[in-house]
Amino acid sequence: MTAKAKIALFQCRWCLFSPADQEWVDTQLPENIHLTKTPCTGKINPLYLLNAIQGGADGIMISGCLPEQCHFKTGNLAARRQLEEFNDFLHYIGYEKERVHFLWLDLQDRGIIQKELAAFEAELEAMGSTQHLATRVMRAEGGENA
Amino acid sequence: MPDINALKLEAKRILREGIVDVVVGFKPGDSPLHPQPAFFRNEDEVEELIHNGLCKNNLANYLTRLPKQEKVGILVRGCENRSVNSLIVESQKERDDLYLIGIPCEGIIDWRRIVEQAGEHISMVEDNESEVTVHAPTGVNSYNRFDLLHESCQRCLHRNPVSADTLIGDPVANGSLELATQKVKNFESQDIEARYAFFQKEAERCIRCYACREACPSCYCTECFVDHNTPRWTESGATPAGMQGWHIVRAFHQSGRCTSCGACERACPMDIKMTYLTEKLNHDMREKYNFECGMDAETKPPFQTVTLDDKNRFFVGGGK
Amino acid sequence: MNLILPKIDLPDLLQSWRKKFTVFLPQKLERFSHFMPLDDANAEILEQPHNTRIPPKALFLPMTEALVKFTRFGTYDDAELEVSPRIVFGMRPCDAQAVQLLDTVFEQEQYTDPFWVKRQEKTIRIGLGCHVPCANGFCTTVGYGPFSKDGLDILLTDLGDSFLVEVLSESGKTLFENLHEASEELKNQAKEIQHKAHDAMPIAFETENLKEKIEQNFKSDYWDEVSRSCLGCGVCTFLCPTCFCFDIVDEVQRQERVRNWDSCMFRIYSLEASGHNPRPSRIERTRQRLSHKYAYWLDQIGLIGCTGCGRCVSYCPVGLDIRAMLRQAQSLPFEVSHAE
Ligand code: SF4
Ligand code: SF4
Ligand code: SF4
Ligand code: SF4
Ligand code: SF4
Repeated sequence: MTAKAKIALFQCRWCLFSPADQEWVDTQLPENIHLTKTPCTGKINPLYLLNAIQGGADGIMISGCLPEQCHFKTGNLAARRQLEEFNDFLHYIGYEKERVHFLWLDLQDRGIIQKELAAFEAELEAMGSTQHLATRVMRAEGGENA
Repeated sequence: MPDINALKLEAKRILREGIVDVVVGFKPGDSPLHPQPAFFRNEDEVEELIHNGLCKNNLANYLTRLPKQEKVGILVRGCENRSVNSLIVESQKERDDLYLIGIPCEGIIDWRRIVEQAGEHISMVEDNESEVTVHAPTGVNSYNRFDLLHESCQRCLHRNPVSADTLIGDPVANGSLELATQKVKNFESQDIEARYAFFQKEAERCIRCYACREACPSCYCTECFVDHNTPRWTESGATPAGMQGWHIVRAFHQSGRCTSCGACERACPMDIKMTYLTEKLNHDMREKYNFECGMDAETKPPFQTVTLDDKNRFFVGGGK
Repeated sequence: MNLILPKIDLPDLLQSWRKKFTVFLPQKLERFSHFMPLDDANAEILEQPHNTRIPPKALFLPMTEALVKFTRFGTYDDAELEVSPRIVFGMRPCDAQAVQLLDTVFEQEQYTDPFWVKRQEKTIRIGLGCHVPCANGFCTTVGYGPFSKDGLDILLTDLGDSFLVEVLSESGKTLFENLHEASEELKNQAKEIQHKAHDAMPIAFETENLKEKIEQNFKSDYWDEVSRSCLGCGVCTFLCPTCFCFDIVDEVQRQERVRNWDSCMFRIYSLEASGHNPRPSRIERTRQRLSHKYAYWLDQIGLIGCTGCGRCVSYCPVGLDIRAMLRQAQSLPFEVSHAE
């Protein structure tokens, strides 16, 4: 892969307890990482992931809080059930599972997100990009369904 | 096969006694291959009632389409009964407003298989326990019934109604879990390229007619995500992104809500066999949460229930 | 002009056309047949008894096509459409008739659809008559037939070992240069086959006064009765060769304005921005579908907007049968309208 891996980062706005980490995410994020902040991981619709993938993201990171630390009590539990299954489901139809990465952060964690993003980026670059599900292109005239 | 007279008697009785306002069943169509869903509101109309292996729709689908206040009697096979339960769990209908006439099911015949075997001009189909006799201008031929069944019925696990008010006919042997999960396991055992190639080939044949959605009892949303345009969740047209998005998300919305009835793929005009998608989800629900949709009218599907027991799984597949 | 084309010569002939044309012909896709471009491999010439699942209207009005490309900086360009010369081989007469009907929609004096016209101009349509009429079709009922020539440049009649080639237009002539004129005997044989096929099709319902009955019973319970089990899917309209409704959508992420097939059987088809829906249920939508085909088309061009291809009958997921619906409509009350 020549260009840097494109990462879509979905971040719960409560999961980075340290202001320094949040500030880093808000202001210092490298160009190849696209941030979407949500009020809770429970707000992350599987369609968000699909959209990022179809639009050509090489990988997706979801950052949220550990169980019992959710600002809304159970949002993360619901998200975990859905998004994990969604990832398994995408894997089933031919999308590499490793391209979706969950990061569940503890209140005590500091500086983890930078490291995780860097490691994920390296991992994605080692994997190379994929054409699977990255489909936002026009079909040719006279194609199968034309 | 259910005794049709017993069915009619029961349907008439519940109408006569005012237990229900309407009975949902089937009536003959112009062609023997296409019986139609029908709504019987008085005893005379019930004379038209039929039920055979070519009745291909999941009648539970009509529960959310009939006026909410009506009391409904409905003919249910195994899968339909479970769909009814699932709708009760999702507060779409009250159990007290329903009367379920259960029919142990021998499986639904794929009319396209009949046409492939005997041609289009079919004048009569006799449906017996193990054989289907088809009358066509080319002659009268009998076929093994199991071979003519829809795939979803060949691998069906729960053939008997699970919570019917009355059962017409003797219970039949239920299917095996091994057979039921074989399709998913076979698909899973292929490599990732092959899986994606198959998915792509199937999804991109779609014409986005949404018959699969309309035929499914669980797809009752007033506004489906594909019809939504602010924001637009997925591309609207017959483009790869649009078609794939539709297939992925329609199926995913059925997680824990699908009863493997196969109505979606029976409705598809493009012969897309899309239950390999929902079967995967059903399989996972079974494995991860020990949940099977619609087995009773109380248990909520996994995505509606969360527990702290999930805790340990937070570290599976990523994270610390 | 009536020529004879031995069947064994057909594969080579098709291949020879490929030098100048893209040749579309029905090929097997899964369990049905579908118009696809012929490629190098000597494509199997299907002994396909009947229609392709998707009607050939899709070759003129694709399911999705871009009309305008735009950027988020406010610039936009009309989408370019390059169409190479094409031959559509093996169109059934009902489908050819349907494309001809659609011409009246897309090629009006005031409103011409440039994409439609371009595709039309570049296409030679070779029809194949139905010597074995299909089970669910009813072309003769609606005034057409298994060997109708409307909308075709060439009509083929299957004579067993050969085809009788009827050349119906100038553009068709050049394709069959080296063929011999058919003998009288073969011509008569073809005529007989054509008549037989025509007679073999039963009349599915009476069309007399159907328009008046449909129009005058706009508020009748009949519509409720016939639409009760309808699911409101797009099968009957998307597979219909004469249905042409489309929806224009801005795909912002792709930066394209596209045109997609749409269907009057969908809830959102008539949904207005205010939330009001003038066709609130499947009753009104079914009424629209039938009325359009059997009344409004007649108002507009004097022809029934259904060519009787039978697709909606075969593939409706709940077995709703337009023939039965119209037969039932025939018993509706009506008054003879007074000529204006
Ligand atoms: S998704 Fe298909 S198999 Fe599942 S409940 Fe709906 S119609 Fe039945
Ligand atoms: S696909 Fe999803 S959004 Fe659409 S009707 Fe079905 S459940 Fe609802
Ligand atoms: S029924 Fe088939 S063709 Fe229609 S939308 Fe569903 S998958 Fe696509
Ligand atoms: S209405 Fe039905 S029979 Fe008539 S042209 Fe359309 S699909 Fe064919
Ligand atoms: S195909 Fe049948 S169910 Fe679907 S909209 Fe048409 S009439 Fe209704």
